Amino acid sequence: MNAVEFNNITKSFGQLTVNDKVTFAVEENTVHCLLGENGAGKSTLMKILFGSYHQDEGTIKIRGKEVKFKSPLDAIDEKIGMLYQHFMLIDDFTIWENVVLGNELSSFGKLDYKKIKARLNEIIEQYNLGLDINKKICDISISQEQKVELLKLLYRNSEILIFDEPTAVLSPVEVKEFFKIIEKFKADGKTIIFITHKLNEVKELADKVSILRKGQLVYETSKENIDVQRLGNEIIGNVEITECPAKSHPNEDNRKYFIELKDVTLIKNKVKVLDDISFDIKRYEIHGICGVEGNGQQELVDVILQFEKSFSGSVMMKDERVSIVPDDRYKRGMIKEFTIGENILLKKKNTGFISKYMVDSTSQYIMKKYDVRAPSAETPLGSLSGGNQQKAIIAREIEMQQNTMIFYHPTRGVDINAMAFIHSEIVSLRNGGKAILLISSDLDELLKLSDRLSVMHKGRLINTFTESELVTENKNNLVEEIGKLMIGIH
Amino acid sequence: MSGLTLKRFSIQTQANIISISLSLLTTFAITVILILCIGKNPFPIFGTMFSEVFLSGYGIGQTLFKATPLIICGCGLAFCFHAAIFNIGAEGQLNAGAFTMGLVALKLEAFPWYISIVICVIVSFGVSAFFGLIPALIKIKKSVSEVITTIMMNFIIMALINYFLVDFFAAKSTMHTEKIPENMMLLKFSTMFSFFQGSSLNICFVIALLLAFISYIVIYKTKFGYEIRAVGFNPSASKYIGISPDRIVLLTFMIGAGITSLVGLNFIMGYKGFYEYGFSNNVGFTAIAVALLARNNPIGIIFSAILFGVLDSGGLAVNEMVPKEIVLVVQGVIILTILSINTIVDKKFNLKR
Amino acid sequence: MELFKTILTVAFLTQVFRLMTPYYLGASAANFSERGGVINIAIEGFMILSAFSFAMFSIITHNTWLSVFLAIVINLVFALLYSLFTVKLKINQIVTGVGFNILIAGLTKFLMMIIFHSSSNTERFEGIQDNEFIAKIPVIGDILSDYIVLFAIILIFISNFVLFKTTFGLRLRSVGENPEAAESLGIKVHHYKIYGILISGFLASLAGIWLASEQKSFSDGMIAGRGYIALAAMIIGKWKPINIFFASLIFAFFEALQISIQISGTPIPSQIIQMLPYLITILVLVGLIGKTKPPAADGVPY
Repeated sequence: MNAVEFNNITKSFGQLTVNDKVTFAVEENTVHCLLGENGAGKSTLMKILFGSYHQDEGTIKIRGKEVKFKSPLDAIDEKIGMLYQHFMLIDDFTIWENVVLGNELSSFGKLDYKKIKARLNEIIEQYNLGLDINKKICDISISQEQKVELLKLLYRNSEILIFDEPTAVLSPVEVKEFFKIIEKFKADGKTIIFITHKLNEVKELADKVSILRKGQLVYETSKENIDVQRLGNEIIGNVEITECPAKSHPNEDNRKYFIELKDVTLIKNKVKVLDDISFDIKRYEIHGICGVEGNGQQELVDVILQFEKSFSGSVMMKDERVSIVPDDRYKRGMIKEFTIGENILLKKKNTGFISKYMVDSTSQYIMKKYDVRAPSAETPLGSLSGGNQQKAIIAREIEMQQNTMIFYHPTRGVDINAMAFIHSEIVSLRNGGKAILLISSDLDELLKLSDRLSVMHKGRLINTFTESELVTENKNNLVEEIGKLMIGIH
Repeated sequence: MSGLTLKRFSIQTQANIISISLSLLTTFAITVILILCIGKNPFPIFGTMFSEVFLSGYGIGQTLFKATPLIICGCGLAFCFHAAIFNIGAEGQLNAGAFTMGLVALKLEAFPWYISIVICVIVSFGVSAFFGLIPALIKIKKSVSEVITTIMMNFIIMALINYFLVDFFAAKSTMHTEKIPENMMLLKFSTMFSFFQGSSLNICFVIALLLAFISYIVIYKTKFGYEIRAVGFNPSASKYIGISPDRIVLLTFMIGAGITSLVGLNFIMGYKGFYEYGFSNNVGFTAIAVALLARNNPIGIIFSAILFGVLDSGGLAVNEMVPKEIVLVVQGVIILTILSINTIVDKKFNLKR
Repeated sequence: MELFKTILTVAFLTQVFRLMTPYYLGASAANFSERGGVINIAIEGFMILSAFSFAMFSIITHNTWLSVFLAIVINLVFALLYSLFTVKLKINQIVTGVGFNILIAGLTKFLMMIIFHSSSNTERFEGIQDNEFIAKIPVIGDILSDYIVLFAIILIFISNFVLFKTTFGLRLRSVGENPEAAESLGIKVHHYKIYGILISGFLASLAGIWLASEQKSFSDGMIAGRGYIALAAMIIGKWKPINIFFASLIFAFFEALQISIQISGTPIPSQIIQMLPYLITILVLVGLIGKTKPPAADGVPY
C-alpha cells in the first residue's frame, strides 16, 4: 500500500517552474529519502503535500484516496506531520504551549493543562525525549528544540512524517541518537519522508530514494541498489564544478599573527557565553571553528568585530577592519532592496557622492568578475537566487581587500555549484596571504578547508587540531572524535 | 540588457502614475459623495474652488504660499522616514524652532539682514534638532518607539511655548511675539510681479524648492543618503556593512527635525513678522501625508505639497458653501486611498517595494 | 502638606480609579491588537470617534444605551477597516494608524460643523447614569457604580484569563509571536489578527464613551493624547494585563494630582501642570529598567 502518491505535480512561481510533472510513490512504513540540490524543488513538493502550497496541476493520493488540502490543518487531519528545516517554534512560549497550539485540549475554550500535561509526558516517556514541558523554547538547546518538533508530530498522531534536513543542525553524536528515534518510528509503523544532503545518511537509512533536479524527478532506486557515487552524479547532473585550487605552503616566517585573542570571557544575562577563549589567526591559514550552533560562535564574531565590548581579556588585531561574510545573509549580509553595486559601494570607505554610473559599473564589474548572475545591473540583490546573493556578498568582502576575513556559514543554503565556487575563492584568498577564520557547523566543509581546526562547546574552545593532526589516513576516527567534542565529550 | 532595464523602469513609472491618479480619482469621488450626503451640490463648490485657486494671481500665490511649509516640513520628514524613523513630532519640533527664531530675531537689529537671518536659521535649526535628539536618544538607549515619545513631546513643547509666551514674551494681550526688525523681512513675490498682488508668497518658496533639490541629492546620490536608507531597510545588516545604525538614527532624527524649523522662516520673515501661537495649523501632521503621498521623494514632495496647498486655500475659498473642515476629511481620505491603492496596484504589477 | 492631605482622601482615590479607566481600556485595546502582532496607534482616533459618535447619538436619540451600542458598532466598522489595511493589504501599521488618526480627527471636526454648527464643542447631554444599587455600597460603591469603571476593573481578570488560559488567547499570542509557526499548525493567522483588532476597537470605544459621558459633551481635542498615553501604559506594563493596570494607575494618579493642584491653586503655572501627564509618560518610559520586549512579530505584516 502506498502512503503517498504524487501524480504529475506541477508548481510554478511566476516564470519559474519549481516542480515539473513530478510523479512517484512512497510506500507505507518505509523511510523514503528525497534528494536534490537547493532549489531542486524538494521543499516545495513537501509544502504542497502538507497543504502550505497548492499545486498548479496534478493530484496527490494519501493511502489511495485523492486529497485536496486547503491548509496544513487538512494535512494534519490526514495524520501528516512536517518537521521543518527552520524550526517553527515560538521562542517566548513554553514547550507545552508550542506543542498543543492549534490542537488544544480544552473545555469550553479553557485550556485543560492537566490533560495536556498527562498526554505530553506520556509521549515524552514513550520515546525517551527527555523534555520538561514547562521550559521556554528560548531556554533550551537546538537538539532539544528538534525534539519539541518531534513531540508536536507525535502529539498529533502523525503517521506520515516529513523530515526536512533534520540532521543539518545536529552534531554527529546527536545524529546517531536521532536515527534511533527514526528506527523507533518505523517500528511503530510510521512512514517517513526524509530530505537530506548527506549521502552517507541515505545509505544508512533509506528504503527507497528519489532524486529531484531542476524540479523534475530524475532518478529512483531502492535500498539494494544504492550507489553513493551514482546518487551524487544524479543530484548535480552534467555541470562543471569549479575546482578547488591546491593549498600552497609558504615558509613559516610569513605566518604572522593577524588576530590574537587572550583569555576572552564574555558574560551575557549571567551566562558565560564566551569562556576563557584564547586563539589566533595567522596569514596563509584558514582557522576553522566547528561546533553546534549557539555555542558562542556569534558572540565570538561580535567580539572580533567590536560590536561587543563588555568582555574581559584582550583582543589584539593588526588591522582595524575585518571582513565578514555573516551567517544569515537576509538578516545581516545585505540590503536586499539595493542593487549589487549599491551594496558594494555602501561598504567602501569612500565618502561623498554615488552616481548611477558608479553603481551600474560596479554591478557589472562584480557580475563579470565573480560570475554573479543577475537579470541586469539594476536588479535588487534580494531578487537573485541564494547562491548568487552569497557570491555577491563574498565578492564585496574580497573587494574590501582586508587582510583578515571571517567566513561564517559561508555556504549555507547555496547550491553545489556556488558552494564549489565559494570554497575555491576561500582557498585562493588563503594562498594569497589572507588570515581566515572559518566558522561552520558543516564538518565536511571544515575538514576540506581548514589548516587548523578548533572545536567550540558552550563558549569554550575545547580542542585545537593542528595541520598535521588533520591530515590523517583515518578520517572516520577523526570525525568521530570531533563529533564527540562538539557535544562536550572529551 | 538595457532593453530590460528600460522596461522595468517604465512599469514602475506606469504603476506610479496609475496609482496616483486612481487615488486622486477615488478621493474626488468620495468627496463628491460626502458633499451630496450633506445635501449640497458639489459642482458649484468645485467651480468656485477652481476659479478662486487657479484663475487669479492671488489664488496661485496663496496656494504656493501654503505649500511652502509643507515642502519644508515634508523634506525634513522624508529624511526621518527613509531611516524608518516615524517622527510624528514635527509639529512640536517646528514650533520650538520657529518660536526661538522669532525671539532671536528681536535681538539682532544691529546686524545686516543677511547675517541676522543666517544666525536665526542656525539657532532655530539647532533648537528643533535638539527636540529631535531627545526621542532619538530614548529610541537608541531604551528602544522605546519614537512614535509615542514624539507625540508626547508635541504636547510638552506646545505647553512650554504657551507658558513662555504668556508669562514673558508675548506682545500685550496677544498670543504672538513682538515684531522683528523690518530689515529682516524677506522679499515678497508681489513686490516683483504685480501678478501675485496681495498674496503672501515670498522668497521662502524658492528656498523650499532648493531644499527639496538638495534633499533629493543627499538622500539618493550620496553615501550618507545610502546609509540612511540602508539603516531604514535593515539596521542589523547595516551594522555588518560597517554603518552604525545608532549614529545614523541620531543624525537623521536631528537633521529631519532641524529642517522643520525653516517653516518659521516662511511665516515670520516672509509673512507676519512675528511668531504666533498656533501659526503652524498642524503643518507637522499634514506634512506626514505630503511625504507619504510622494513616497518620501523630495521632488515628489514639491507636487504633493502643492496639491495640499490647493486643498487648503480652496477650502477657505468655499467656506461659505461647505465648512472648510471638509479639507481635513479629504486629507485623511487621500492618505488612506494612496496607501491602499498603491498596495493594490503594486500587487497587480507584481512590484515589491 | 495641604496637597499630601488631599491625596490621602477617599475622594482622591476614587478619582484615581475613575481616571484610570480610559487609560486602562485604551491600553488593553492596544494590547489585544499587539498581542496579535498589529501595532495600533489608531487607538487615539478610535477614542475620538467613539466619544464623538456617542455624544452625537445621545443628543439625537436621547437614548443612552442605544447610543453606547451605536458608538461601539461604528468603532467596530472602523476597526474592521483598520484590519483591512494592516492585515489584508499589509500596509505599514504606523503609517495606517497616523492616517486613521488624521482622518478621524478631520471627520469629527467636519461633522461637528455640519450637525452642531460649532468647531469646538457639542451641546450637553445626560451621559451614562451610575448603578444606584451598587452606589449604596460604602466606600467602593462610589467607584464601582460607574458601569464602565466596573467593567475596566473586571477586565483585568478577563484579559489575563483570555490571553493566558484559553485556546483563543494561546492562538492570538502565537500569531503575534511567530505567525509562520502558527500557520504551520493550521491556525488562520489573518482571522486571529482581525479578532485582536476588533477587540481593540471595542475596548477603545468604551474608553471614548466614558470620557464623553463624564464630560457630558464632546469637545474638539478632549481625548488630548490619552490614546497615546495608553500605548505608553501598555509598553510600561510590558504587554501584561495586570502590569498594564498598574501603569494606568500611575498615569491616573498624576492626572488626579494635576487636577488637585489646579483646584487648590498653586504658584506653579497652569501650562506646566497641563504638560505633566506627557512629561511623566516620557520620564516613566525612560526610567524603565531594561529594554522593553514587544511580541516578536509585532508590527510585521504577514
